[in-house]
Formats: sequence, C-alpha cells, structure tokens
Amino acid sequence: MAPLVLLPSLYLLLLAAPLAISTNSEGEALHALRTRLSDPRGVLQSWDPTLVNPCTWFHVTCDDHNHVIRLDLGNSNISGPLGPELSQLQHLQYLELYKNNFEGKIPEELGNLKNLISIDLYENRLHGSIPKSFGKMKTLRFMRLNNNKLTGSIPRELAKLSNLKVLDVSNNDLCGTIPVDGPFPTFPFQSYENNSRLNGPELQGLVPYDFGC
Amino acid sequence: MATASSKNIEFQGRALLQWKATLQTQHLLNTWTFQTSPCNWTGVTCRGSLLSHRDHHHFMPTITRIQLSQMGLEGKLETLNFSALPSLRVLNLTANNLHGSIPAAISSLSKLIYLDLSDNNQISGSIPSSLGPIPTEIGNLLNLRDFDISNNQIIGSIPKAIGNLTKLEIFSAIINNINGPLPNEMANLTNLIKLQLGNNNLSGNIPQDLAKGGLLQNLSLIYNNFEGHIPVSLKNSTNLIRVRLEGNQFTGDISESFGIHPLLDYIDLSFNRLSGTLSQSWGACLNLTSFKISGNMITGEIPVEISQMPKLQLLDISSNKLVGNIPREFRRLSYLFHLNMSNNQLSGTIPPEFGDLSSLKILDLSRNKLSGKIPIQIENCFELDLLSLSNNDLSGAIPFQLGNLKLHRVLDLSDNLFTGEVPTQLSKLTELQMLNLSHNELVGRIPSSFQLMRSLTSIDLSYNFLDGPVPQSKIFRRAPIEWFIHNKGLCGEVQGLPPCAPSSWESRDKKITHRNKVIIWVIIPTASILFLLFLIAAIILPYCKRKKHTATETAEVVNGGIFTIWNFNGKEAYKEIIEATENFDDKYRIGVGGYGTVYVATVSSGETFAIKKIHKIEDQASEQAFRNEIQALTQIRHRNIVKLYGFCSTNEFNFLAYEYMERGSVGAILRTQRELLFLLSCCISHLPLGDIGTLLADFFSQDSLNVDGYYNSLLSFIDQAVEEGFIPSARHIFVSASNAKELVKKLEEYSPCHEGVASIFELGSHEKRTWTP
Repeated sequence: MAPLVLLPSLYLLLLAAPLAISTNSEGEALHALRTRLSDPRGVLQSWDPTLVNPCTWFHVTCDDHNHVIRLDLGNSNISGPLGPELSQLQHLQYLELYKNNFEGKIPEELGNLKNLISIDLYENRLHGSIPKSFGKMKTLRFMRLNNNKLTGSIPRELAKLSNLKVLDVSNNDLCGTIPVDGPFPTFPFQSYENNSRLNGPELQGLVPYDFGC
Repeated sequence: MATASSKNIEFQGRALLQWKATLQTQHLLNTWTFQTSPCNWTGVTCRGSLLSHRDHHHFMPTITRIQLSQMGLEGKLETLNFSALPSLRVLNLTANNLHGSIPAAISSLSKLIYLDLSDNNQISGSIPSSLGPIPTEIGNLLNLRDFDISNNQIIGSIPKAIGNLTKLEIFSAIINNINGPLPNEMANLTNLIKLQLGNNNLSGNIPQDLAKGGLLQNLSLIYNNFEGHIPVSLKNSTNLIRVRLEGNQFTGDISESFGIHPLLDYIDLSFNRLSGTLSQSWGACLNLTSFKISGNMITGEIPVEISQMPKLQLLDISSNKLVGNIPREFRRLSYLFHLNMSNNQLSGTIPPEFGDLSSLKILDLSRNKLSGKIPIQIENCFELDLLSLSNNDLSGAIPFQLGNLKLHRVLDLSDNLFTGEVPTQLSKLTELQMLNLSHNELVGRIPSSFQLMRSLTSIDLSYNFLDGPVPQSKIFRRAPIEWFIHNKGLCGEVQGLPPCAPSSWESRDKKITHRNKVIIWVIIPTASILFLLFLIAAIILPYCKRKKHTATETAEVVNGGIFTIWNFNGKEAYKEIIEATENFDDKYRIGVGGYGTVYVATVSSGETFAIKKIHKIEDQASEQAFRNEIQALTQIRHRNIVKLYGFCSTNEFNFLAYEYMERGSVGAILRTQRELLFLLSCCISHLPLGDIGTLLADFFSQDSLNVDGYYNSLLSFIDQAVEEGFIPSARHIFVSASNAKELVKKLEEYSPCHEGVASIFELGSHEKRTWTP
C-alpha cells in the first residue's frame, strides 16, 4: 500500500481503499432478485446491472462506502419470490418491502443481516414460517410481518432480540404459543391478533405442552 | 523463413506458456500444455488467416482473442511477450490479481480493439500492487475501441498520446490514482461514446471541445478535482444519456454547457461551484428520470418547465440559491418520488397541488423562507415516508391530517411559527421513528395518545409553550431532558422535569378499550380522584363488624355488592378490611402461600373475601411480581379459578382481595358481581402518589391479553387436571402467578391451609404425570 501513502488527497484514500474489492456483489445480488420479480409499475427500471454499483439505482440507498444500507420498495405492486441473495447486502439496515405481492417463503438467509434495524415484510403473500435465524439479527428494532400467510410458531429465538421495540405478526396463521422471555412481554396483544391457532403465552415448567403446531 | 510466418501458432503458444510459467497460479491454466494446440486452450480464441508467401497460400490459425476474466490469476502482465501476438484483437484480463506495470511492449498489439485490464486490484498485502502508470505506447494501439483499466491503483497521468486513439469509443479508468489534467489531445477522440474517469485525482480544466463529435452518451468524471467550465461541447451533445460530474470544483454557468438532451436519463452535477439559472430547456429533456444539482450556486427561480418532464422521479436542487415560489405545476410530476428543495431561499406557500404527487415518498423543503400553512391536501400523499419542513416561516396550526400519512422515517416541522395544540391524531403515526416539533409556538398538552407511537426512537418538543404531563410510555420516561426544555410547564417522569402535581394530572386522557367483552372497565375521571372508586356497602361500627348488618349510614348498597364504583373511599375500604381481620390477626388466617399469608375477611356488608397479604419486599422484582400478579389474575374468568377483586398497596405490605369460596358453594352475592371487575387502590398517604399513578398507568396502558385467546392453554390444563382428579376440590384452587411457569410451580408447592378457602394440593399423594391436553 506504499503508493497510496504518497497520495496527497486523503478523501481519495477513503474512497479508493474500501472500493478495493472489485466485484459488484451487492449489485449482482439485487439484480438476481430483480430477474425473478414482476414489476408492472417499472419501479425497478433504473436497476442497471452494468453500472459499477447499485448506489444510483432508485429506491436503493448507500452509505459513503457504496454499501447498500436501505432498500425502500414499499407499496410498489411487485410480485414474485424473495431470495437468499438479499443476505449479501451485509450493511443493510432497512429492508422495506411492505405492501407488495411478494410470495414464497421468507428466506432463512436474511438472518445473516447483522446490521438490520428494520424488516418490514407486512401485507404480502408470504407463507412458511418465521425463520429461527431471525434471532441473530441483534440490532433489529422493528419486525413487521403482519398480514401474510405465515404458519408455524413464533420462534423462541426471537427472545434474544433485546433491541426489538415493535413486533407485529398479526393477521397470519401462526400456531403454538407466544414466547414470554426477552422483549416479548412489552408487545401488546395487537401484535398477535387474528392468528386463530395461536394459543397464548407459553407454559414453561413442569408440564410439557404439545399443541400439535 | 519470412517474419510473418515466424509468428506461427506454435510460436504464439510458446509465448503464452512462457507467460504462464511466470504466474503464481499456473494450475488455473492447466489446459495450456505443449501437447495441445493453443486454439483449444481455456480463454484462447483463434481465427484462420490467409498468409501468402511467394506463390504459396497457407491457411494458418492465429490467436485473436485472449479472454481470461475472473479467473483469479496472479502474476505480472509485463512478462507476457506481446510482440508474439500480432493478431490479437481482444485482450480481456478483468478481475484477476495481476500486478506490475502495463509494459510499453503492449504497443505491438497493433490490431487490438478491446483491452480490458480492470479490477486487477490487489486487496491488500505487501506485494506491490499498482499496475503502474499508463504507458505512452498505448497511443500506438490505433485500432483500440474499448479501453478499460478501472479499479487498478494506476498512478501517473493520462499520456497525451491517448489522443491518437481516434477510434476509441469507450475509455474507462475509474477508481484509480491517476492525477494530472486531461490532455488537450483528448479532444481528438471524436468517437467517444463512454468516458468514465471518476474516483481519481485528476485536476485542471477539461478541454472545452471534448467529445465534439456529439456521439458521447455516458460521461462520468465524479469525485476528482476538476475545475473550470464543463465543456461547452456538451451543449450540442444530443446523444447524452447519463452525466455524472458530482464532487468536483466546476464553475461557470450550467446553461453554457447544457441545452436540450432528449435522451438524457440521469444527470448529477451536485457538489460543484456551478452558477447560472435553471433553464427552461430542461423541460425538453423528456426522458430525464433523475436531476440532481445539489450544493452549487444556482440562482433564479424554478422554471415551470421542470414540471414538463414526464418521467422525472428524483429531483434534488437543494443547497443552492434559488428564489421565488414553488410552481404549482409540479402536480404533474406523477412519478416523482423524491423531491428535495431544501436549503434555498424559496418563498411563498407550499402549493396545495402537492397533494397530487401520489408517488411522493421523500419531501424535503426545509431551510427555505416558505410561509403560510401546511396544505391539508398533503394527506393525499399516501406514500410519504419522510416529510421535512423545518426552518421555514410556516404558520397556523399543524394539520391533524398529517396523522393520516404513513410516515415511517421522519416528520420534522421544527423551527417554524406553528401555533395551536399538538394534534392528537399524530399518534396514528405508529410507524414513525423520528418526530421533531421543536422551536415553534405550540401550546397545550403533549397528547397522551403519543404513547401509542411505538416506533418512535426520538421526539423533540423543546422550545415551545407546552405544559402538562409528559405521556407515560417507555420512550418518554427514558427521554433526555433536551427533548423537552424551554416549554411552559411540562411535568412528568423525565429526569429534569418537575413531577406533576395531583391537580394537574388527569386520567381522562387514558381511554383504553379492552377486547374482552366480559370485563368492563369503569373509570370515573374527576380531577380529585386518583383511583377507581368502590363503594362500601354497609359500614358497620367496628365492634359490630363480624355480624351481618344491612343498614349503613355512610355508604349505599348498589347492586348488592361491596365493590361498586360510583363512590370511592379507599381509606374506608382499607379500614374495613383491617377491621375485618383485626389487623391481620392470626385467628383469621386461613392459609400460607408462596408469597404471603391468606386471611378471611367478612366486611360490614356481609361479603367475605380472601385477603392475601404479601410482605412488601424492597426490591423491584417483587414489586413487579406483585403488579404482574394483579394483571394476570384480573384477566382470568373461569369457573375453576378464584376471582380477584382488588389490591391494596401500602408502604408496609400489599394485599389482594379475592373472592372467598366456601367448599362446594358460591356466594350468591358474589355471583352477581361476576361481570364486573374493579381495580381499586386504597392507600395510606405515605405511598407517593407518583408510584400509584405509575402502577395504575402501567396497568391501564399496557394492553392486556384477551383471556379467551391467550389463556386457553392454561385453563384447559386446569380443566383437564381437575377432571382427572389430579387437582382435587376444583373450586378451591388458589391461583396466583405472573406467568404460567410460575403458576405451575406454585400449584405444586402450595401447602395445606384452611379448609374453607384454599385447596389442599399435595403433590406427594398423587402420581406425578405429564399432561398433553
């Protein structure tokens, strides 16, 4: 790195050094997602994969080092499945995909997003269960998965999310019991309503319970 | 042999093998062997070429392309003997780990059309990683059309000889350490379609006749130190599609460099020192989706013609010196999702037509001189996610219609002249993360419904004229004082604010509806009443309290019950119970449980209660457990479970009043009370009112769980246990726990007590079984 030290311009150091990684993995990840989606409103039309990074794409926000930190696609009439490639956006903080027609399962790989602050997948057509890997999102503050077709139980692992302020899983088809540890006692009952098979707080202790969930 | 045939395919192959031998990653080229023809090697393409030698015609294959992209090759470029490859047209070595310099010998590739050495940057390490400067000899590659050396830590400056490459269409050298100016000779590159030199250390003036051929489509010079004027040759460049010049020190009038560009899709001129005005001709850029010119010295008014750009999605003209009104015609920009005009000197009002901007997600008009009111039509911007109007001269009341928006990120109205009260409807913004209303002239209370704004991470109400209590929710309680300073008379639990005096604290604001239709919360709000009221049916003189009297002088019997709300006298209730148990004398003790002792108390009205007295322990956890117990129990409506009537908290102990169940029967009086649930607090004055308030506030403001939904599991467990005989004497179960886990534990450890009340539940006498309801 000796030649770099000779450079007079400090900001160029800041720009050049983090850009040392040559591949545009974040742009490629987003492009891979886009190819599977149907986008009648053309919201993703600016997503040009030949550009050096996705930071000038509409509805994508990057930080000063050209890493994607926000994806704002709420209310865009987009349909299609989510995919594991979203987990390659390692600096992602806000994943806003609410009010669309996303279908299929919530990818487990999203749990690898270690910087995520907000995940809003509400009002879509997602099915399957809430991934246990979501318990790894330690910085998460907002998780809104309501109004989908999610099944299965609320993973106990979510009790590890000590920063979680808002949880909404209402209007799904969840079953089993609600965890009582961690942040769960702070969530109002509206967070869980309209899950007809959801059975209330879990019974810990001597009597093991099986609800056939 | 003639020179031409001496460079036959074997010779060319040998040169490549010699190069391979210098690489650290030879295994990646394992198809490159002496035994096979080079034309079959990975990444090597041959073409037949007709060679004439005297009167012999030989058809000879020759290497025309070497394409080894993204292979991870490690080594030097200069060890490749370029002179051995006279027919090479394409050399693509992008995304490898080559280092060293680009050798002068590259000039022997006279037929080269396409040269891509990009992304050969070494990530780190002590190996010298720069690809050195661009050699002057590059000017000899007269056929070169596509030249890409991006992302390589190239140093030095661009050689003048580059002007010789008149066929050059694409020149990309982004993300390097190239310095110096652009040579004037670059104006000879009249066939340029794409010029990308961003993220370097280039400086000086750009040749003013750059790309005068008018074929230029893509120009990106971002984040260099360029100065002087943007080339005037761009004005006639009608083929421009994408222009990025942000982050330089360009000066001059933008209208000298830009005119009408019908194909222009994206232009960013931000963070320069450009001047002039926004010309009407921008309106003729019918394909423009993104127009950014933030951080310059643009003057004049916003031309109406801007609104004629039918495809405009992002408009950022912030941080300039624009004046005048915001054109109403902006309503036509139906695809506009991001509008930033902040930090200018715009005046006039916010057009109500902004309500037509149905795609708008981000609206920032802060730091201008806008006046008038916020148009209520703004509520039609359904997708608005961020709204900032701060630092203007806006006045009037904050429209309650803002509560109809679905703001997630920011609502910032600070530093204006807003008057009136804070609309309670803002509490509908349950996804809002940041709210700033500071530095205004707002009066009245902070709506207590603000505690419903669960997503708030920051709220600033400082520098207003607000008074009254701060709402009770976690974010407010933990708030720093800076969020509230300089108001008229705010009080509450924030550190730094005075506590609220009783007369100023109202429970009126709390309107909680409970989903369970069986439970009716009755709260009588009056200024002087801090707690719920209950009526003492018949106050009997102390010496008569054990007998059943029906007459009373001081209280009424309503609905035949002692616990009715219409009149409240907490001290009386407490007194009743103390008297009924002779200050918790042992002769009234009927049992001992996990947390405390249970007494029977028959009050003057004849009703009997089981009073569980809990010794007050000085730690938070027990206090919390106490509160949890109340909450848990008050939910339960079940034939097998005792009903809680109320609790009392004093400085020495807490006690809970449960219904008293005689073996096998239910008090007739109590049955009528089934549908009413009361929370009462009777307190001795030394308990600070704030504590009680908090207790009640927590209790009321915390949404309670619907017992039908959420305790079904618990109740069915108990039902099953009763049916199977596991728990005898169902009616006498004494259940009290903060959660199910503790409940089970207590059920198991509950010790025998008075036959009239608590059940006798002994684990030992029954076979321990596991249950699967």
